[in-house]
Amino acid sequence: MPLPKIVTRAAGLAGGAGGKALQQLQHLRLPGFGQSSVTDDPRTAARRWRAVSVLTDPEQLRTAIPVPLAAFGDRLDVRVTPAPGDRGAELAARFRGPVTEDEIGDLRAALRESKALVEVGEVLRVDPQPHGHRKATPQGAAIEGMAERAPREGVL
Amino acid sequence: MRAATWTGVNEVSVETVPDPTLLNDHDIIVKVRKTTSCGSDLHLLGGYIPFMRAGDVLGHEFMGDVVEVGRAVRERKVGDRVVVNSFIACGTCWYCKQELYSLCDNGNPNPGITEGLWGQSPGGCFGYSHALGGFAGSHAEYIRVPYGDVGAFVVPEEVSDLRALFASDAVSTGWMGAELAGTKPGDTVAVWGAGGVGQMAARAAMLLGAERVLVIDRLPERLAQVREHVGAEVIDYSTTDVMAELRELTGGRGPDVCIEAVGMEAHSPGVHGTYDQVKQQLRLQTDRPSAVREAIMACRKGGSLFVLGVFAAAVDKFPIGAMMNKGLTVRGAQVHGQRFTPRILEHMARGELTTEHLATHVMPLEQAPRGYQMFKDKEDGCVRAVFEP
Ligand SMILES: NC(=O)c1ccc[n+]([C@@H]2O[C@H](COP(=O)([O-])OP(=O)(O)OC[C@H]3O[C@@H](n4cnc5c(N)ncnc54)[C@H](O)[C@@H]3O)[C@@H](O)[C@H]2O)c1
Ligand SMILES: [Zn+2]
Ligand SMILES: [Zn+2]
Repeated sequence: MPLPKIVTRAAGLAGGAGGKALQQLQHLRLPGFGQSSVTDDPRTAARRWRAVSVLTDPEQLRTAIPVPLAAFGDRLDVRVTPAPGDRGAELAARFRGPVTEDEIGDLRAALRESKALVEVGEVLRVDPQPHGHRKATPQGAAIEGMAERAPREGVL
Repeated sequence: MRAATWTGVNEVSVETVPDPTLLNDHDIIVKVRKTTSCGSDLHLLGGYIPFMRAGDVLGHEFMGDVVEVGRAVRERKVGDRVVVNSFIACGTCWYCKQELYSLCDNGNPNPGITEGLWGQSPGGCFGYSHALGGFAGSHAEYIRVPYGDVGAFVVPEEVSDLRALFASDAVSTGWMGAELAGTKPGDTVAVWGAGGVGQMAARAAMLLGAERVLVIDRLPERLAQVREHVGAEVIDYSTTDVMAELRELTGGRGPDVCIEAVGMEAHSPGVHGTYDQVKQQLRLQTDRPSAVREAIMACRKGGSLFVLGVFAAAVDKFPIGAMMNKGLTVRGAQVHGQRFTPRILEHMARGELTTEHLATHVMPLEQAPRGYQMFKDKEDGCVRAVFEP
C-alpha cells in the first residue's frame, strides 16, 4: 500500500482529526510498514520497561533522575543500568499500576526529553516557526495530528 | 520574509511568512545567500513522501551568513559565511560520536512517524516533511539552524558561494557513498545517476584513488558534464546495454564498488520500467528501484553497493539471491554531512572539487516555482535550480 493512501486512510479512521492517525499507521500489519510497534494487550504493555540509551555515566544518571521522569513520582519504577561497550547508560521506566495508551505516550515523551536534557542540555523545539498559508484539508489535518502526537508515539 | 512553500502535489508558491526566531540555546539564524533544489525535493513534490503540509517551507541545501547566535553557541559568530548541512545533528549523542550524523538521536523531536515506518527514527532534516522533524526549509530569506556549532561550517575565503553551496548536501552525499562503500586505489567504481549527487560521488571516488570511474545516465547534457567537469567515463543507458558494457570494461568481473544515486522514481526502459511504474501507480509498491536492481546484478562478487537515492518504504523484486550468493555488502544512509564537509571544503579550496557547473540555472527566489518545474522536467539542461533570496 502506498504511503499517501495510508495517510489518507489513517485520516479517515481518525475522523479527520488526525489524533489517532499515527497510532493507526503504527498498527498496520503490512509487509514493509509499521510492523515495529508493540501491540501487546494493555496489561502486558503496561508492564513493559520502556527504555532509551543515554550517552552518559550510569552512576551520575542514577543519582540525578531527570526531571521529566521524576515528575511521575512513585507511579513509575525507574532503572538505570550500564549500556554495553561505549554506549553509556540504559534508562528504563515502567508504570507500577494499570495505565492507558495515553499515559504510555507521556512516558515515551518523558524518556526522550530526559535523554535530550542529559546529552544536549535542552530539548529541541520545532514550533513556532515560519510557514505559509495552511489549507484546511483532511490530509493536512491528519499530518498535523501526527506531528502533534509524534513525540509520544513510536516503538519505545 | 519571502519563502518558497509546498502547497500541494507538484505545486510550489512563494509567500510572505513570519521570520524565524531562536528557539533553542544552540540555535543560530542564517541569512540565506544561496539555496538549491535537490533530487530529494522531487520525491517530496511528487507526493511520494506524503508527510508535507501545505505551507511548509522547502529547501535543505544552502549557505549564507550567520546573523544571530543562541546563548550556548560557542564557535559560530555573527558575520561568519557558512555552509550548513542538510541533516540536523546534536554532536553529542552516541550516533554523532560515531560520525553517523544523519542518525542523530536528538535531531528529530517527532520520531513517532519514522519509528512507526522503519522501526527506528533517523535524525531531522530541513524542509523535508513532518516525518523528518517538520523543520522549516532554506528557500527563504532567513533560516533557523539548530545545533549551529555542529551543522554550520565556515567557508574558506577562496571558495565561492556557488561552490560552497553544494558541500551542504550533494557533495557530502556523494562523498559518503564513495567512502563508506570502501572505494580504494585500484577499484573500478560505477555510479548510477548523473545528477548533482551522482556526479559528486564520481568525483569523490576519483579523489579517493579509484582506478576507473563510470557514470550511467541517459541525459546527454549531464553525461557531457561528467566528462568535462568530473573527468569520469560515461555510459548512456538509453543506447547501451549497461550490464554487458560494465562486464566488458572490467575484464568480466563487474565493478568493485557500485553507487546508486537515482532514488525511488528511477526511470527504466522496457518491461521492468512499465512493471514498476504500474505497481507504483496501483500503489502496490511505494518505490521504483530499477537502478538498485541493476547495480546488484552488475556488482562483482564480494563487491559493495551504496544506496544514496532516497527510498520511502517497500519495493518488490529485490534481487536478494544475487546479493546473498555473490557476497555483496549493501549499505545506505541519509547524508552524514558533518563528517565529510571539512575535508570537502579543503578539496574545494585547492580547486580539486568544483561544483559551479551544477548550478545551471541561478534565479531569484521569487522564481522558485518556475525553477522547480525546470528541474523536474530537466528542461533546458537543468541540473540544479539555485535560488537567491
Ligand atoms: N542519501 C542522501 O542523504 C541524499 C542526499 C541528496 C540526494 N539524495 C538522493 O539522491 C538521488 C539523486 O539526487 P540528485 O539531486 O542527483 O537527483 P536528480 O534527479 O538531479 O538526478 C537523478 C538522475 O538519475 C538519472 N536516472 C534515472 N533513472 C536512472 C536509471 N535507471 N539508471 C541511471 N540513471 C538514472 C536521471 O536521468 C537523473 O539524471 C535522489 O534520490 C535524491 O533523493 C540522497
Ligand atoms: Zn538533498
Ligand atoms: Zn546526535
